[in-house]
Amino acid sequence: MTFLLTMAAATAAVAIEMLEALAIVLAVGMARGPRDAVLGALAAVAAVVLLCLALGPGLLASADLHLLRVIVGSLLLLFGLEWLRKGILRMAGRRRRSSSYDEFIEEREALGERLPAESGADWAARLVAFKGVFLEGLEVGLIVLALGSAPGHLAPALLGAAVALFLVSAIGLVLHEPLRRLPETQLKLGVGVALTAFGTFFTAEGLGVEWPLGDVALLYVAGLFAVTAWVATRRLARSRQLVGAT
Amino acid sequence: MSALVRSLRHLILGETWTIPLGVGVTLVLALLLRAALPGGAWQAVGGFAVAALLVVALASSLRTRS
Repeated sequence: MTFLLTMAAATAAVAIEMLEALAIVLAVGMARGPRDAVLGALAAVAAVVLLCLALGPGLLASADLHLLRVIVGSLLLLFGLEWLRKGILRMAGRRRRSSSYDEFIEEREALGERLPAESGADWAARLVAFKGVFLEGLEVGLIVLALGSAPGHLAPALLGAAVALFLVSAIGLVLHEPLRRLPETQLKLGVGVALTAFGTFFTAEGLGVEWPLGDVALLYVAGLFAVTAWVATRRLARSRQLVGAT
Repeated sequence: MSALVRSLRHLILGETWTIPLGVGVTLVLALLLRAALPGGAWQAVGGFAVAALLVVALASSLRTRS
């Protein structure tokens, strides 16, 4: 079961990050030319892979297992709680809903306003694609390394990332209507719940806790954060309605 | 370059200091609780204490934003 949970969390988290990167690459490609967009994106992917290969195995091998779990758990909590916070605010109407499609349109319009290079390499376009893919890719790398750091978790985390890569590539091939139809806000809230549950589980284990029912704890901890998110969303939405009515 | 560093800080720590602070405070309080409680008690209920502290951290981050 832990295998499936880790894989599902990795798939969802990586797919969402990759969708955001895809939106930027598509925008650069449509506004300035696909060649420069792909070159910038490939350079960013290479940089992220090299960074993960250089730092990941060394960090995972040298640290004490308990300390590693606390570090990895805290990292997952930073990501998970932030996604959860934003998701709650979006669902409650306190913040604009998340949409890679809107980001794509905004990025394309912004790029369209800048003058393209007259000939040769369009470094501005490459840089925009590189920066977008590098930042999203770094988040993907951190999440996969964090989820895969526990013994036996690396295979499902990598498998989940591969499934996400396949899904997002498929979406990219038939864009852009599917991008608009994705319920991104709900997906991000769900990923926030999953990452927070994994973060809580690993952090507590690193501090010497033995969870009742073992790995099943991931499910009831996720349930706790899902209920918390639901209650917080309702409360924030209700207070917004009251402010609007007065 | 500074924009990239700013983006990286934003990526790791998020938009608000409440969550990194909340995670830090949770770790400190959990360590204090672990030291105060007998070993068996911490092993059994420590996870729920950590989860409860994180729920408080999340609630606090929503309060500061709203």
